[in-house]
Amino acid sequence: MALTTQDKAAALAGVPLFAGISAESMERLAAVAGEQEFAPGQFIVRQGQVGTGLYVILSGSVKVLRGSDVVARLSKGEFFGELSVIDQQPRNASVEAAESATVLALASWDLLALLESDPKLSLNMIKGLVMRVRQAGEKLGH
Amino acid sequence: MAMTQQELVDMLSSLTLFADLTRPQLEQVAHKMTEESFPVGQRILRQGFTGTGFYVILDGEVAVRIDGRDVARLAKGDFFGEMSILLGEPPVADIVTTRQLNVLHLGGPELEGFLRDHPTVMFRMLKALAMRLRNASR
Repeated sequence: MALTTQDKAAALAGVPLFAGISAESMERLAAVAGEQEFAPGQFIVRQGQVGTGLYVILSGSVKVLRGSDVVARLSKGEFFGELSVIDQQPRNASVEAAESATVLALASWDLLALLESDPKLSLNMIKGLVMRVRQAGEKLGH
Repeated sequence: MAMTQQELVDMLSSLTLFADLTRPQLEQVAHKMTEESFPVGQRILRQGFTGTGFYVILDGEVAVRIDGRDVARLAKGDFFGEMSILLGEPPVADIVTTRQLNVLHLGGPELEGFLRDHPTVMFRMLKALAMRLRNASR
């Protein structure tokens, strides 16, 4: 499946992270995002490596692993890999395809440029992180 | 402690959250946000109740308390209140002063607009949240 820029834009439009961003940002996003496919069990990112991008799941699902513990499952419309892009520290978890998965990969420099130029995207990203901090805190609290 | 506008702007420029702002932008922030003080032992945010705003600590210290247990301490330059505002949900923690506290306060409904007007503050907040998430998931 080779996606056209238009296909990518349509897929990205359904992702909450990109809801409400400008048409111009969406166009740039679709132009620079690269489609990648992974077979079940294949690693998409590895804990400890310095990350170079953010991934958005277009189809299938993935497992987030810390060591050998599965700490989360993510599926269509969800994203991962953002922490390394924001703070340029090594990945704090590995992500493995749980079933055949198609993702759009967005390079760090492209994402950072978009975050700088579109405040709505930054705001969406902040909300996404806040939600994760909250979920992590709830896990700690119980 | 009542600071002059000049002193307040100087102090803001030393906080990480506002590190990229120009002098005129810092003056805008100082104008937009209200300085407030709280004595020791005061609960500023209440777990499970509606949040009332976004706070940036200028001086002093607070405890982040979940179900009666202290999970973190926040001090100068740290901020709180943004989570419940941005998610539109009640705070998940109590925020209780452990030392006399001076903060800058911004009303909840104003936070999104404030962040949009100051993208560099938003990016600093993003970095701070990324750090919090890393610490929380360690």
